[in-house]
Amino acid sequence: MSDKPEKFIDENGLRLDGRQVDEMRPMKMELGVISRADGSCYLEWGKNKVMAAVYGPRELHPRRMQKADSVLIRYRYNMAAFSVEDRIRPGPNRRSIEISKVSREAFEPVVLTHLYPGAVIDVFAEVLQADAGTRTAAINAASMALADAGIPMKGLVAACAVGKVDGQLVLDLNKAEDNFGDADFPMTFTQDGEVSLVQMDGNFTQEEFKQAVEMCKEGCQKILGMQQEALRNKFAGELSTDEVDVELIEEDVVEAESDDVDEGAAEPEEVDEDVEESQDDVEDDSMIKADEPEFEEDEPEDEPESEEDEPEEETA
Amino acid sequence: MECNIVIPGQFLSDDAGKSGHGTYVKDGKVYSLLYGIMNAKNKMSVIPFSSKYIPSRKDFVVGTVINVTPSNWIFDIGSPYDGLLHVSEYPRRVDSDKMSGIMGISDSALLRVKDVSSSMKVELSMRERGLRALKTGRILEVSPAKVPRVIGHGGSMVSMLKKETNCEIFVGQNGRIWIDGTDGNMDRLAEAVEMIMEHSHSSGLTDRVCRFLRNVSDDDSENDENTQKGDFAEDEEDECKVHGDACRTVDALLDAEDE
Amino acid sequence: MSALKKDYIYNLILKGERSDGRAFDEFRDIELRTNVIEKAEGSAWLKLGKTEVLVGVKLQVGKPFPDSADQGVIITSLELNPIASPDFEAGPPRENAIEMARVADRGIRESGAIDLTKLCITEGEEVWMVFIDVHVLNNYGNIQDAASLGAIAALMTATIPAEREGKGEDSPLPIRDMPLAVTLVNIGGSMLVDPGLDEEAVCGTRITIVSNQDGSISGMQKSGDGALTEEQLLSAVEMACKKASQIREANLLNI
Repeated sequence: MSDKPEKFIDENGLRLDGRQVDEMRPMKMELGVISRADGSCYLEWGKNKVMAAVYGPRELHPRRMQKADSVLIRYRYNMAAFSVEDRIRPGPNRRSIEISKVSREAFEPVVLTHLYPGAVIDVFAEVLQADAGTRTAAINAASMALADAGIPMKGLVAACAVGKVDGQLVLDLNKAEDNFGDADFPMTFTQDGEVSLVQMDGNFTQEEFKQAVEMCKEGCQKILGMQQEALRNKFAGELSTDEVDVELIEEDVVEAESDDVDEGAAEPEEVDEDVEESQDDVEDDSMIKADEPEFEEDEPEDEPESEEDEPEEETA
Repeated sequence: MECNIVIPGQFLSDDAGKSGHGTYVKDGKVYSLLYGIMNAKNKMSVIPFSSKYIPSRKDFVVGTVINVTPSNWIFDIGSPYDGLLHVSEYPRRVDSDKMSGIMGISDSALLRVKDVSSSMKVELSMRERGLRALKTGRILEVSPAKVPRVIGHGGSMVSMLKKETNCEIFVGQNGRIWIDGTDGNMDRLAEAVEMIMEHSHSSGLTDRVCRFLRNVSDDDSENDENTQKGDFAEDEEDECKVHGDACRTVDALLDAEDE
Repeated sequence: MSALKKDYIYNLILKGERSDGRAFDEFRDIELRTNVIEKAEGSAWLKLGKTEVLVGVKLQVGKPFPDSADQGVIITSLELNPIASPDFEAGPPRENAIEMARVADRGIRESGAIDLTKLCITEGEEVWMVFIDVHVLNNYGNIQDAASLGAIAALMTATIPAEREGKGEDSPLPIRDMPLAVTLVNIGGSMLVDPGLDEEAVCGTRITIVSNQDGSISGMQKSGDGALTEEQLLSAVEMACKKASQIREANLLNI
């Protein structure tokens, strides 16, 4: 391990890796990288390489771990044995268990837990290469993996750290700053500006602390923007459409409706309207139950017994 | 086309009354809960790109027996929650000791969700026309979020698939699709379903899949001759009934993506 | 697995086909990237179809075993990481993971792929310890062969970090051979190489054969609750050596 550098910031105000004090290392992310998982994300941040995957909601064993009224979130932060300079023994240790706990708690405020009572959502974050800031990298990847898995969330979560070297605050610590700096202050911000993870070791004055929060918040906002962009880009290509195709599909609809739905009580011509009318409750039928009673005032609880009459009842 | 991909936490509307499925309201404003496509037809709702199957009353599902207790068959229905088929929900009277003989572990069946309790106890039923234990055919698995695509507008996709492949098809809302027909036809159908999954977010899909099926069908024309007869005519009726309401539920979802 | 799915796989095999369209003796596509983890002394990211493993090699100075005082030490670990499959659980490795790690370990050790005497720094005192860690990222079947190919590729790219440890100059790890595992499964009396996930679930018997460049065999393991005929065993070995040499040629010789 290298020794403590004499200076962390040069006369031009640049850090050892050439960054400005408020500049983050480059970040790159890719969604849907683990096909067995329900959602996944590979993220590189500087030399950090992390992989996050989400499985669930799924059945939880053993039964005694189940929560009757909400889903259990499990978060496992794990470092690959070869991810650091000196090989580490595979498996959990005190450090990784603590990080797993606070990371899980960073997501609990945003995930709608009461929608899947008794089930579990597993988040696995694997650090394949570590270079300072792995817990924040893992959280950023996990946030994307959760969205990718279709987990209902009030918003994404972004994580970043601020530290102090040479008496100056720096954003997104590199290895040397992490090892020999005077403070390390990782935080996560939810999309609406709440703080869901705070850890801190080292030394800040009151004033520095306030500045650090601001600095971290700005960093998280940048990350949030990148996360949103990556999510938007995943399907962007597939969603393009041309007019010819749209026309064709309209034709299909007319044909099929007249021969398939006519068994129902509604006349074929009416079906179109009926569908529109009943659209909202109809969606509730076949989509995941992501609507909350408090948000949906007019959700029809009881549907008519006879399936075929459904649209008619709605219009009546 | 307007890009209407939305992300959890994304602002959708100032009008709290417009909060639909997959959204939430905070301080009078509507935000998305899910990563998916926004449907702003009537209310703002979000159709997720990916989702697990969460059982809901009246859903049709394809299940596989994972255990048999003295009064229930327990089914894996591709969900975090197992389904219970009480012996009284089997179409015929069955003695407790004969249950395994009728459906044993790893046997599959077409089922309907009778009820779901608040603690997610899922009760199944087989007392409906068209529902039964399966002895033949294949089960394809797709993402439950993409089931609407396989059904299509007004059931257009599924009826086209049926017509072009001469196969019996039952699309479970849990993402399991049971198909039966000649081997050659089932192969074509399975390929067609794979194609639907791959291109699930593009429009004109029914037509594209149809063209695909017509192209490959030339090679398999001999197989078509041997198509099972008899039961088919009957079943087809059942199929339409089974899917009648499912078709409609699907339309609204698809509108968002096609327009 | 549902009986219908099992029947489907069986019936296809009776017709001489596999569910993904491969021939019985055909491997899935292999994609290999080496030196992907800068912090490791050697590494390989391997895709075998949709199965994915990341293998990292680390070297450290340690004490030799008393019965081989002039030889380096190889330690192979393989974890069925829960990130890779809904069927894997967090926690201490189960028998499957331990079996796979040990088969991979023996293949490398017994083949003499690494010249262990060259890993001796001071006899009886200090030797290089080679840690091979297999990180499974996505399981679509046949982790064993993926791990074996990933491991040898990672070893071939590994450097002895002598300068870092103050033990002279860096040098490549002394690799003498390229042992490769090839796994076959018995389904309905037919032997299939490189089983996919469903084939693994359906098969009663799996056999892994580790062979070297000269066609010699340096490891073998039967697993699963079924049995093999003598004939099946002999033809499996022949097939495994043939496939191993093809894979070696296509993926390893240019490293």
